[in-house]
Parts: sequence; structure tokens; C-alpha cells
Amino acid sequence: MRALTKVSLGLAGLAGLLVLVELLPRLGLVDDRYLPPTTRILGALQDEISTGDLWRALGDTLYAWAIGLLIAVVAGVVAGIAIGAVPVLRAATASTVEFLRPIPSVALIPLAVLLYGTDLGSTLLLVVYAAFWQVLVQVLYGVADVDPVAAETAHSFRFTTWGRIRYVLWPTALPYVFTGVRLAAAVALILAVTAELVIGAPGLGQSIAVAQSSGAIPTMYALIAVTGLLGVAINVAARAFERRSLAWHQSVRGEIPA
Amino acid sequence: MLEVKGLRKVYRSGSGDVEALRDLTFHVDTGDLVCLVGPSGCGKTTLLRCLAGLLDPTAGTVRIDGHEVAGPPPGLAMVFQEYGRSLFPWMSVRDNVELPLKQKRIPRTRRLELVGEALDAVGLAGTESSYPWQLSGGMQQRVAIARAVAYEPTTLLMDEPFAAVDAQTRADLEDLVRSLWQRLRVTILFVTHDIDEAVYLGQRVVMLSSSPTVVQDELVVDLPAARDQLHTRADSRFTALRTHVYEQIQAAKRGRPATTV
Amino acid sequence: MIKKLAYAVGLPLILFVLWFVLSNGSENFYAPPLKDILRAFADTWTPERLRADVVPSLLRLAAGYALAAVIGIALGVAIGLNRRLRATLEPVLEFFRAIPPPVLVPVIMLFAGIGNGMKVIVIVFGCIWPILLNTVEGVRAVDSVQADTARAYGITGPARIARVVLPSASPQIAAGLRQALSIAIILMVISEMFAASNGLGFTIVQFQRSFAIPEMWSGIILLGLLGFALSLLFRLAERRALRWYDGLREAQRRS
Repeated sequence: MRALTKVSLGLAGLAGLLVLVELLPRLGLVDDRYLPPTTRILGALQDEISTGDLWRALGDTLYAWAIGLLIAVVAGVVAGIAIGAVPVLRAATASTVEFLRPIPSVALIPLAVLLYGTDLGSTLLLVVYAAFWQVLVQVLYGVADVDPVAAETAHSFRFTTWGRIRYVLWPTALPYVFTGVRLAAAVALILAVTAELVIGAPGLGQSIAVAQSSGAIPTMYALIAVTGLLGVAINVAARAFERRSLAWHQSVRGEIPA
Repeated sequence: MLEVKGLRKVYRSGSGDVEALRDLTFHVDTGDLVCLVGPSGCGKTTLLRCLAGLLDPTAGTVRIDGHEVAGPPPGLAMVFQEYGRSLFPWMSVRDNVELPLKQKRIPRTRRLELVGEALDAVGLAGTESSYPWQLSGGMQQRVAIARAVAYEPTTLLMDEPFAAVDAQTRADLEDLVRSLWQRLRVTILFVTHDIDEAVYLGQRVVMLSSSPTVVQDELVVDLPAARDQLHTRADSRFTALRTHVYEQIQAAKRGRPATTV
Repeated sequence: MIKKLAYAVGLPLILFVLWFVLSNGSENFYAPPLKDILRAFADTWTPERLRADVVPSLLRLAAGYALAAVIGIALGVAIGLNRRLRATLEPVLEFFRAIPPPVLVPVIMLFAGIGNGMKVIVIVFGCIWPILLNTVEGVRAVDSVQADTARAYGITGPARIARVVLPSASPQIAAGLRQALSIAIILMVISEMFAASNGLGFTIVQFQRSFAIPEMWSGIILLGLLGFALSLLFRLAERRALRWYDGLREAQRRS
């Protein structure tokens, strides 16, 4: 299939969704108090944009997302390399990581509320907790992927620990770090919006909760669509960033027979 | 009986058409073993996919046992070059061989009989419950051959089946194909890029030109039916035939027919 | 063997002891002594409590997750096998996947009220996307030689889907199911925090609102244990179902 056909089919699909949402309530198939038609949702979006409420909420969400992601990535990479560089540490922490990782981050919501109330801190606690594991686990995979020949080469040339990390461990783990960042970016957004929605920290999630409780249903749908678009934008950007950063690495990988 | 008449295949793409096969006409008699050789990139894979009904030709016809091919014909089995990808890794050896038979709605007892016989015939009895990837490359290709044999085809297409196995395994597998052919009397079209292999295995050798492909030359291999790796390959007639095929292939690469015999 | 066991339980044991010792005599209202939390755990999560709050949560989780898996895989196969359909729907599906699932709770509350149905629908809607998109991707990526083999041997129709397409896509589908499981647990808790009269999420929030801090901690620990147990179960099931895949990967790495 040509690229052009693919793009136009994709656009047709999106247009179809908009038309469907317009028609379902208009034809009375769905109660328009529950699902307002597309045009009314767009109108509500227009209002949110013109009053500036949208930008404020979006800014708050992005701020919490970015800070949380940054903390999680730095902590995840440092912890991952440190654990990965020392085999004893890796063996000793494996079970703890396996135990802590699947703990649902939302379990921490009550704790976050008690500690930080509706402040940014609540959002950050959840975002950092959820995103940290994504990065850490990928870095650990990366470190485990170090070519034994490369490791032995470094050993035979009597590399220092720092040299081993700098020239062997880090380059091998780098692609995994990028994958971890991409996964963490998506998870961080989910948790940021969730925290705002459930706890009431400022941001898109809180605006959605307010719109819902005050019966402004078109506004609620408009804001949900914005979170979806934000999610798509973050995914696309993270993927592009990953591909660009790893262009050299993919070509190297291509030479290794499967 | 496999008949190919005026076969032509043009791939259409955005940046202009590519003519892979120009005009191919040849046939394989019922019960014959014909080898197809050609320079690399001569459209062998395209040709085989057309014969197997996996690809629609642009022009021309393929007939198997008198029926024109449109979609995979029932009496045809195929052995692919990429054995590792052609066997289903999620199934045991037995299930791999048995699955096509299930599709033919053969009753269970007969299926198990066929699977057993086929695995026996390729020397793999006892590996039924292993997974393909637990076997060596040569053994995996034997499984693929067993699958084809158990299918009880009238015609067997083999697409460079031994290109990816080591030399010694290859010699064993060549002898296996000869002996299966003699025992089962199936029609075999064997595609290879190896000239020695073509002359050693075939009753006839069909040489292809480089792409866009036509038939460059045909040759009857007048060696005795009983062949073995040591004596056949040392035979002076074998060397002469081999030289002929070699020169034709070299000429095909340059794009004109050679004149020696 | 003993060494392996020591490594596995060593650090958790040390952390547990550290927590126990350091929190002992803690005056901090929010971080009560572990001793108190453990006592609260035993007092709170009695068999009656488990039956009244944990079992309903788990049933809703199971129903939503199972429905999402069945619908997601069925739709994913249909979409993955049709190139035009895939090109048309992919952007829409990517959009739905990118919506943070918890924001679906207020929407679905509008339609389905606050009963069990709402919570199950929330779980289905939230965790179907990774399953669906991974299935599409897995079906699309069926190896060309495998597809040719199936066609050449007359393996078509339902047999092709059951014996070739689904097994070939299964590693990818399993990855989708794994992502979906953690989303399902999150949604189980969130939907109960919003509106419920029973369930784990409801109970934990009640403890927090009434400042029953040790009980709240015990709830968090229970939720953690649950998440761990479910992911362990999933891993066991996955390893069993994908034994061929692990073996194949291992064989390819050796060669």
C-alpha cells in the first residue's frame, strides 16, 4: 500500500470517528446528555481555549509530568547502572525488584493524600513511583545484555570500574535506556492525570473531575480528547527521539546474524 | 506432469514496473526429477511461487496434472529453503507433519500412519515430540521433507532446500531426495544454484537466463540411475555435463547463449 | 541452591527488619510502627472482610480482564488480517490507547451508573487497547515463509487462524495482556475509589478518610501483595504457554 493511501485511510478513520460521535446523539441512538455531538464538544473546547483554562491545566499537567519523569529517569538510570555493575548487588536485589515493581502505584494514593494533600507532591509521588520501575527494569535488561566477549576484553585490558561502566556497560545499555524513557513517558502521563483526577491536584485530570461533577459534559469530553491527543503527542515524540538517538545502533545491530 | 507455458511475471510498483520473468516454457514429465539452475537473482523464487499458486502470473499458464493452477493446487507439496521459518516453532515435529493432513480430512489412524512412515523415511523416527528448533539445521530440513512426503503429493517443488546446511549434511540430503524419488515415483522440480547438485540429482537440467528470465538451455543427464557421491561425481560424463551447465550459466550471466557442448 | 535462596530472601528480610526496627516507637502519625501495621493487618483482613471486600474486587477484575482479552484478541485478529481496515483504524486506536484509562471512569459512570457493570466496563475499556493493538501488530508480523507454507499446504480459514496466525502472534499478544493486567488492577482500584460500597479501593480510601492510618497501611500492603501475586500468576501462565518461544529464542541465541 502506498504511503499516501495509508495516510488518507487513517484520516478517513479519524473523520469517521468524529462523524459517528456527531450522529449517535443527533439520531437519538445515545442520550445527548451522556454523549454530546462532536460540534458541541468542539464548541466547549473553543471556550476552554479562549478563557485560557485549558492552557493553565495543560501546563500544570505537563509540569508535573516532566519533573516526575526527569526524577524517575535519573534515579532509574543511576540505580540500574549501579546494581548492574555489581553482580552481587544484582543477585541480591532481583527478588526485591520483582516484588516492588508490580505493586500498583494507585495503592499509594491514600498515602500521597495524607502526605501532600492536593499539592504537586501528590502527583509527583505517584508519577515517580510508576515511571521509575519502567526505567530501572529496562536498564537492568540492558546491563544483562552486555556481550560477554566485550566484558572479558575490558577485563583483560584491566579497565577500571569507571572505564568498564563508561565504555562497555553504558553504550550497551543506552538503547534500553531510551526504551525505558519511552515507556516511562507514557506511564508518567497516565499517573499524572490519574492523580489529578482522583486526588484533585491541579491539572487536566482535576479539570475533568470538576467538569463532570458540575455537569459540563461537553467540556469533560473536550478535556478527555485533549489528554488523548497529549498522549499521542508524547508517544510520537518519544518514538522519534528514540529512533533518532539510536540510528547508529540499529545499523550495527543489523549486521549481527539473528 | 508439470507444464509451464509462456509464463511471465511483471511486478508493478510506484517507481516503474520490474519484469522478473519474461517468457518461460518447460515441462516436467510425470515421475521425472528435473533440476532448475540459473545465475543468482534470476527470478527462481518468483517462478516457484507462481508454480505453487502463491503468486498470480502476469501472463502464461501453469498446469499440474492437466489442471491449470489458480491458488495452491491440492496435489502439490513444497519444501522451502528457509526450513527454520517454514516449520511452525510452536508445534512438535509430529504436529508439523500432521497439520496439513488434518486439513485434507484424513482420518486419525491413517494420519498417524503417514506421519510415522514419513519420519521413518527421512530417518527421523523417535523425534516426534521434539520441537523443530531442538534439532540441527539438516534435521529440520528432513522434517520439512517428511511433511511434504506425508502429504502424498503427485508433484514436489523444492526451493534451494539445501542452500543453508553444511556440505556433509547436504550430501546426505541429496541422496535422501534421490532415494525418496525412486521409491515414491513423484514428480520433482528441484531448484538450486549449485551446478554440481543439479547434475548429480537431476534426470534433466533446465538452465535459466538472468532476469528477465527465459529458458537458456535444457540438458538430459544420461548418467545411470544408481548414483553415489563418490563414483558419480568422479565419472567423466558427470564432469562433461557439469562443464556444459557451467558454461551455459556463465553465458547467461553475460546475456547470450554459449556454443560448446 | 542455598546461595540462590539466600540472595532471594536476603534483601527483603533486611528491609523488613530495618522497617520494623526503625519504625518501632515511631511517634510520626503517618508512619506508625510496623508492629502496629501488622497487628492492624491481622485484625482488618479477616476472612469475613476478605469475602466482603476483596472477593468482589477480584471478581470484577476477572470479568473485565477476561472480556477485554476475548474482545481485544478477536478484533485484533480481524483488523490485523485486513490491511485497509488496519490503515483506517490504526490512528483512532492509537488515540484511544493514549487516553489515560482512569479518565474513562467519569464517562462510563454517566452511562452505566455506579454499579458492578460500570466497574467491569471501565476495566474492559481501559485495558482492551494494549491487547488489541499488540494483537494487530503480532498478526501483521506473521512470517512470510510461514504464511506461504500454510497456503501451500492448504491450511486456510479457521485452521489458519487457530494453528498459524494466533500462535505466531502469541508472544506479542502476551506482552499486550501483561500491560493490560497492570492497567486492569489500577482501574479496579480507581473505579472503587470513585463510587462503591465495597471493594479494596473503597475500603482503603475509607481508612484514609477516617485517619485509620495503620489500617490504611495494611490495605496498601494487601494491594501490593495482590499485584505481586497476580503478576506471578501471569508469568507462570505465560512461561507455560510460550515455552516454545523461549526455547526458540534460546536456540537462536546459541547459533
